[in-house]
Amino acid sequence: MNRITTNVGKVLPALVFGVAFLGFWEWAVKFFELKPYFLTAPSSIWEQFTGNFSLIRGAATVSGTNALVGLVAGTVLGVAMSFVLSRFGFLNQLITPLAIALNAIPIFVLVAVLNNMYSITSEIPRRIMVTLVVYFIVLVNVARGLTQVSPTHVELMRSYAASDVAILRKVRIPNAVPFLFTALKIAAPAAVITAFVSEYFGGSQNGLGSRISSNIANSKNAAAWAYVLAACLLGLLFYTVSVVMENLNRKGWVRQ
Amino acid sequence: MTAVSIRNVSKVFNQGKPNQVDALSNVALEVKQGEFVSLIGPSGCGKSTLLRLVANLLEPTSGEVVVNGKSAAQARLDQDYGMAFQQAGLFDWRTVRKNIELPLELKGWDKSKRSARADEMLQLVQLPEFGDHYPWQLSGGMQQRIAIARALAAHPPLLLMDEPFGALDEMTREYMQGELLRICAATGTTVVFVTHSIPEAVYLSNRVVVMSPRPGRITKVVDVSLGGERSEDTRNRTAFFEAITAVREGLRGMHAAHVGLGNDDR
Repeated sequence: MNRITTNVGKVLPALVFGVAFLGFWEWAVKFFELKPYFLTAPSSIWEQFTGNFSLIRGAATVSGTNALVGLVAGTVLGVAMSFVLSRFGFLNQLITPLAIALNAIPIFVLVAVLNNMYSITSEIPRRIMVTLVVYFIVLVNVARGLTQVSPTHVELMRSYAASDVAILRKVRIPNAVPFLFTALKIAAPAAVITAFVSEYFGGSQNGLGSRISSNIANSKNAAAWAYVLAACLLGLLFYTVSVVMENLNRKGWVRQ
Repeated sequence: MTAVSIRNVSKVFNQGKPNQVDALSNVALEVKQGEFVSLIGPSGCGKSTLLRLVANLLEPTSGEVVVNGKSAAQARLDQDYGMAFQQAGLFDWRTVRKNIELPLELKGWDKSKRSARADEMLQLVQLPEFGDHYPWQLSGGMQQRIAIARALAAHPPLLLMDEPFGALDEMTREYMQGELLRICAATGTTVVFVTHSIPEAVYLSNRVVVMSPRPGRITKVVDVSLGGERSEDTRNRTAFFEAITAVREGLRGMHAAHVGLGNDDR
């Protein structure tokens, strides 16, 4: 009971603020008689959202699948590569500057190049794009977790005459697990955003990103906003799942 | 029977390079079985280096280290010693019990045998009810007791400690010193103990080895004749203060010589 009260207490300010914000938005649109092409009222966005729900759900499934496939592939590749990097230090010095350089440029533009390599209706370029974004986030973080172990732990293991494999299993991997979850918390929303943005560079007009741009092009602002709402919800879903996974992992051994 | 034999050992870091450091020069020391020997000296005197040579975490540049009648390398492979550091170095993601079991896992012990030994060690350090806790739930002193339990889990004949109580407050520190002596008396473990604290070295040790820096060497060995049984009363005895004075003079004489004051009546 007490815990429920505290949780409500935590959520309440955000909830009140959100409702007040939506109320102000609705009121402002009515009061200033804002034209729908300038700003749409939340009520008409909601109308569009519920009215076109099956279409929106279909588009969200397409974008969500792309994001999920890319997230899983990027995580697997990133973890695998981080093991290679932590084992061979010289590779680390080769790859890290490349990873930083690739992160510094807007790598979304690569999707335009990838689109030329596959058929026009293929989802593969978008998935590759998501994979790339996730890959670097996971790689950098997990490699750090594998290498930044406490010197005392390493000395202790050497005093037990532990092999490199044993040190990897008992020290480096457990040390890297929280880094992996931190990476996922960053990578999960980034995967969704990348999946949307990739849709702006051509290909099938079936995902949330392309629906947003086509509705705006047709001046259907309320419908576009309804797809934006779906995009927000999809991003939140990915983020929430990653946070829940992290909390399950930390259960017990980390001070809450 | 000799537990540790250090024979004319020298250690040079970065030999032949501009940043060459003579960490230890011609150090010789014998530690008898069941003896408690402390290494004391200012920073840079090589006391931690000497401990790591015994542990075979470092190799000597010249000379020889024999542990338990074998080479230091073989002694490490056989887990003939346990080690404790200034940081307790417990693994956050393992329970207290799993931390104690770690050296046994590496030795390939089966689960029931490990578990029984963990129980025994938790009894030894008087924390039997904390087996299923995680390290963050324990105070600094308790964590250090678990680190000692882990170091002794495989029943090694030798315990190497590098300023294990350095991060604890004075009250906890004195309590831990009593605990360590009790544990060593119960297990018959030989201890080589590195510390900065003169009273700590004297209270714990049969012999205090005073070291000096640049290059690191042994300048004086003080025999502490306080008898086997030590209690809080020991800290008030004349022999305790005499030993403290002897160690302090050893450290000070070196300091005076180092700053060029000279000390002709030494």
